[in-house]
Amino acid sequence: MSRWVSFGCAILLLSLFLHASFSALEYQWNWESALRYKKKFADGWIATLWISALSLFFAFLIGSLVTLCNRVRFLPVRYLSMIYVELTRGTPLLVQIFFFFYVVADAAGIQNRYVVGIAIMAIFSGAYISEILRAGIEGVGESQLLSAKAIGFTEYQTFRYVILPQALRSSLPALAGQTANLIKDSSLLSVIAISEFTLNAQEVNAITYSSFESFFPLAFGYLILTLPIMRLSRSIENRLRFET
Amino acid sequence: MQPFGESVNGVMRLFSFLPYLSKISICGLGIALMFLLGCSKGRDTQILVVGMELSYPPFEMTDENNQPTGISVEMAQALANRLGKTLRIENIPFAGLIPALKTGKIDLIISSMSRTEERAQSISFSNSYVHTGLCILVSKNGDSHSIKDIDQPGAKVAVKQGTTGHIYANANLKNAEILLFDKESAASLEVAQGKVDAFIYDQISIYLNWKKHSDTTRALLNPFNSESWSIGIRKGNDGLTTQVNQFLADYQASGGFDQLGDKYLSEQKREFKKLGFPFFF
Repeated sequence: MSRWVSFGCAILLLSLFLHASFSALEYQWNWESALRYKKKFADGWIATLWISALSLFFAFLIGSLVTLCNRVRFLPVRYLSMIYVELTRGTPLLVQIFFFFYVVADAAGIQNRYVVGIAIMAIFSGAYISEILRAGIEGVGESQLLSAKAIGFTEYQTFRYVILPQALRSSLPALAGQTANLIKDSSLLSVIAISEFTLNAQEVNAITYSSFESFFPLAFGYLILTLPIMRLSRSIENRLRFET
Repeated sequence: MQPFGESVNGVMRLFSFLPYLSKISICGLGIALMFLLGCSKGRDTQILVVGMELSYPPFEMTDENNQPTGISVEMAQALANRLGKTLRIENIPFAGLIPALKTGKIDLIISSMSRTEERAQSISFSNSYVHTGLCILVSKNGDSHSIKDIDQPGAKVAVKQGTTGHIYANANLKNAEILLFDKESAASLEVAQGKVDAFIYDQISIYLNWKKHSDTTRALLNPFNSESWSIGIRKGNDGLTTQVNQFLADYQASGGFDQLGDKYLSEQKREFKKLGFPFFF
């Protein structure tokens, strides 16, 4: 009960703040014209959902693969994955989008901008995911690995029953954060005219000259996508909790 | 980028503190916030804030020292001198100019903006100072020669977000797929690489983009519609509208526009004469 009161207080405080901000702005609200374009918002939202879901799948694939490559004994593979991670994490996503779409995809003859967009997001997020997984794996104590060896676990068994459960649990919050980032970062794909949520909202903005009337639905739409991920990650985290 | 998880954590932590805060302190905080916001309003009236997107040479651009320059900048300076105010230029993306004007962040828009009915519903416009029209950049191998050739099923047409090309395409292109770009350079690159069939923009930009990609693109430089550029002013600001209109008339009469045209557009003027197309400035 007191939790709900506190929650209500926080919401009230937030609305008070927003109300004060907007009354200071003297903004003329014009929801009607923005609402006329609700189909545009819906189409964009669905596009963002698909792009995010597909690139998330491939990002996890790439991330896991690169994490494995980092542990391979053949050095060139290891360096290759290291260079990939550092270059991807160290350069702006905007530059990567332009580079992949107008240089790499053009040379490869891939014309579908959605395919390229999903590939770019997967490659970008894959680098972060591989680092998160690496940190999770390396966070498992040396003594545990030795104990596993002492009781005669094979390499596979050590990975499956000792490393994986702990690594997964410790990297879950960061993975959920990265997933939310991927969803929000996909808005940058608008620069190559991928008709996703942000671009559609901006178009409504440009057509109707309303700004906040299209930005608020935009923020809300992204929240609908990102909040469940946070909740899901929390509940998986709780399920994976174990005594140490 | 901030991991979202952390900020949610932060919010949750905030909730757990709340029961300890008394109601009075919450109210106090709210009042303090409103007071703060109230104070932040009001701006120096001796400064004329002009909004433009500095990515439209030779009208709005930046020089080597990252200072705003171009025809519109010199116009804005002359206007500010006339009004006896100090000029401040705000660099704002084109689609964001009208919202910025409406919310009072800027006083005027001088950004090669055409007067349209839709725009006139949300802001006021001065008298026009330039007459121009939309043209088309097509790929070199294509056989399009007019706007009709382009509006075919399966065709892709690039436009820049919020420009009159965008408005025109939305209203008039029934068959072609319209692709929105934020950057003019990306849109012309799409034509050059054959990713889209055409790019609709104003005459001078199409000319400049064609020059940049002359071996892969073709420019249809005969405008297929006509429009005129005006200075954007907030609705209800009639005093300023009168002053701006007076300034434009005097500037025209004293040959200010001709000087700017000679300074920034002499090459284009010659080229257009040679090609036999009407040129506006």
